[in-house]
Amino acid sequence: MNSTAPASGRGAAPAAPTRRSSERLRRIVKNRYLYIMILPGALFFLLFKYVPMWGLVISFQNYQPYLGISGSDWVGLQHFERLFAEPTFWMIFRNTLVLFALNLVFFFPVPILLALMLNEVRQLMFKRIVQTIVYIPHFMSWVIIVSISFVMLTLDGGIVNELLVFFGLEKINFLLSNSWFRPMYIAQVIWREAGWGTIVYLAAIAAVDPQLYEAARMDGAGRTRQVWHVTLPAIRSVIVLLLILKIGDVLELGFEHVYLLLNAMNREVAEIFDTYVYTAGLKNGQFSYSTAVGFFKSFVGLIMIMVANWLAKTFGEEGIY
Amino acid sequence: MTHTQKRIRTWATGLAAVMSLSLVAACAGGSNGEDVNTGNTGAGSTTTSGAQGGNGGAAEAPFEITMMATQHAAEVPDDLIPGMIEEKTNTKLSIQWVPSGSYQEKLNAAFATGSLPMAVSATNTDFAKEAIRNDQFWEIGPLLAEYENLSNLNPDVLQNTAVDGKIYSLYMERPLSRQGVIYRKDWADNLGLEAPQTTEDLYEMIRAFTEDDPDQNGQDDTIGLTDRSDLIYGAFKTVSSYFGTPNYWYIDEGDQFKPEFMHEAFKDTLDYLHDIHSKGYMNQDFPVTSKTDQIDLLVNGKAGVYIGSMPDVLTLSNQLADMNPDAELTVQNGIKGPRGRGVWAIPGYGSIVLFPKSAVKSEEDLHKILAFYDQLMTAENANLLTWGVEGEHYEIKDGLANKTVDQVTDNTIVKPNNAWGIGGPDTIDGMLKGYFELPARALAEELVEANNSMLIHDPSAPLDSPTYIERGQALQQIITDATYQYVLGDLDAAGFQKAIDRWKSEGGDKIMQEYTEAYQAQQ
Repeated sequence: MNSTAPASGRGAAPAAPTRRSSERLRRIVKNRYLYIMILPGALFFLLFKYVPMWGLVISFQNYQPYLGISGSDWVGLQHFERLFAEPTFWMIFRNTLVLFALNLVFFFPVPILLALMLNEVRQLMFKRIVQTIVYIPHFMSWVIIVSISFVMLTLDGGIVNELLVFFGLEKINFLLSNSWFRPMYIAQVIWREAGWGTIVYLAAIAAVDPQLYEAARMDGAGRTRQVWHVTLPAIRSVIVLLLILKIGDVLELGFEHVYLLLNAMNREVAEIFDTYVYTAGLKNGQFSYSTAVGFFKSFVGLIMIMVANWLAKTFGEEGIY
Repeated sequence: MTHTQKRIRTWATGLAAVMSLSLVAACAGGSNGEDVNTGNTGAGSTTTSGAQGGNGGAAEAPFEITMMATQHAAEVPDDLIPGMIEEKTNTKLSIQWVPSGSYQEKLNAAFATGSLPMAVSATNTDFAKEAIRNDQFWEIGPLLAEYENLSNLNPDVLQNTAVDGKIYSLYMERPLSRQGVIYRKDWADNLGLEAPQTTEDLYEMIRAFTEDDPDQNGQDDTIGLTDRSDLIYGAFKTVSSYFGTPNYWYIDEGDQFKPEFMHEAFKDTLDYLHDIHSKGYMNQDFPVTSKTDQIDLLVNGKAGVYIGSMPDVLTLSNQLADMNPDAELTVQNGIKGPRGRGVWAIPGYGSIVLFPKSAVKSEEDLHKILAFYDQLMTAENANLLTWGVEGEHYEIKDGLANKTVDQVTDNTIVKPNNAWGIGGPDTIDGMLKGYFELPARALAEELVEANNSMLIHDPSAPLDSPTYIERGQALQQIITDATYQYVLGDLDAAGFQKAIDRWKSEGGDKIMQEYTEAYQAQQ
């Protein structure tokens, strides 16, 4: 354009944006390698996270597959109204939040404890073996984990119930009861994910300056004191970061896992948004309605993450944005 | 210094480039995967235009047909027989096998993304009724007469598949009712029990198989009934029809449509099974038991009664014989309940085949597909699809087909093709019926025939309710859950009534009303 024209007698106004944009361009060229490195990640998010969001518009429509998004009727908030009026809405909402809270309270601290314990192990060989063993469940799919639990817990010859009978106790109906669903769920989550979760913490712990431990020892701190006053504060920001991320996933409780555990007898506590979306959308073919449910779920997730971030900042930690 | 830096940079750039490339490739791959069907359709129409020129010529290019079919066994289907059909019909088949457990979801997903194949197999038209009304599927009713074999399809059954009286689909024949009781004959003999004639006899057998040590090993290690998490094809619906429960719907004295669970026979069934469950006469975890586990209980000698499809006695006997050569299974049906005999029936078809306009672009293509199905209905091809290759997979004995293959070959090569044929012995002249070495299997065949004298039909089959289409399945969940809960003792009669009230208030009332109106309009 006129960027080549010498800025002889012209006003400074048109020249300023030109200079600014050329400066930006220059900076981009200068850091081109960084930009190129960002590219795959940016592409990923664009293609798999942002573009699909376009599909959310069908939650405001009466989507008919053969008419497509452009041809389907707009119905405003009708599907959201239906969701909030649904008698099961509060049940699903409560179940989702309860499972999330259980995750936060019972699952979240486990990898931290495990990492601290592993860090204290001096016998390297032993540490490696334990680490490998606790990582393994992460690589098994939920189907396998749930099947194993099923075989162990079933009333018809499951080993746990056989043991209970052997010790003269009553059989417990783990699989078909409202009261055992949540403990079973959280135990399986811990079993599968706790070991894997230690990786980040172990890395953070490894980065702690050994001089700090030496200094603490000089001051007479024992093992527990060192953990409390050195290790934990050192990995505090990692903990907070992971906590915020975890809260962001508030409603990602693992569709597959819950769906496998769900049955007619525990639906009252086990039906969550993910399973509901699946049943309404894919099984019953109500595409618009299930999109509306998913939309609402994401919206709740967004609010939760904003609150968590704000809390983190309030307590002087760095948030995620 | 700068040299090293430069090298690192080159590396980083290379790495980034590779990564973004692979990402793009992955995306492209992903969308290709989704569009397999549309892609095939494109290819199909190209061949069509090519074929037009050489009509009747020997070198006519094979017409490509895409279809989605249900895979029932765990084994991956072999393409030997599809290949033979391709040759005979000058087509190129691409069959997408979908496991039966997730077929409905896959169907809905394919429908939602506009990637249905040219021939869509489904259990009924419910998934796409609105689209059918909006002219998104080919109406084939008026065309059938043009085809020699297709015109043999039973008009009554076709009418059961119709939407607003118009016919959009071909159907696969199934016996109207195959449901019955399979039980351990040797156990019954050990205990001196006759074949059960009434629901009380059946109860007594289930009790005795649990309590009276039917395997005579001196241990309390058996149960009577083995059931699974399926209220329809498991024991529940069949037992309920012994008690005289209607088949999903009934018309009361006031010409009102009502669901089966408002009928008192349904409640009798609930009590009957609750009793059996609470006394430990059946597997306690049946609401979460898979079919495999259910069968395991029978073939491992843990349980003695299996209620379901009687022809299954053949595979069950084979499996049982592997575990215990002395064991013997037999079948029984026509069990008399307090309201007489009865057994529920399907509407005369096992599945239907629809032709979406999104995949079948022109009427010309539609005719080609119909011609293909017409050829499938010749005796020769129907036998090939049902029994395999003569001399290799079966032999003819007394004019009947006698299978000569082992289970695995059967499951990989022969049986999968049962899922994409149409018609059946009643509509295909010269199609072979089965010969069964095993007396119990032959008896099952007789009893399936005998079931025809006591069928309970579903009166809603030819009728339509928009609310049912929209909410029916979600509402049914309420009743299904309540049924399990009642049988397991988590719910009493009042609680079950509450579930019915919930069903009514959340849309059930409207469904009843719509069916009633549709019914009265047809009278």
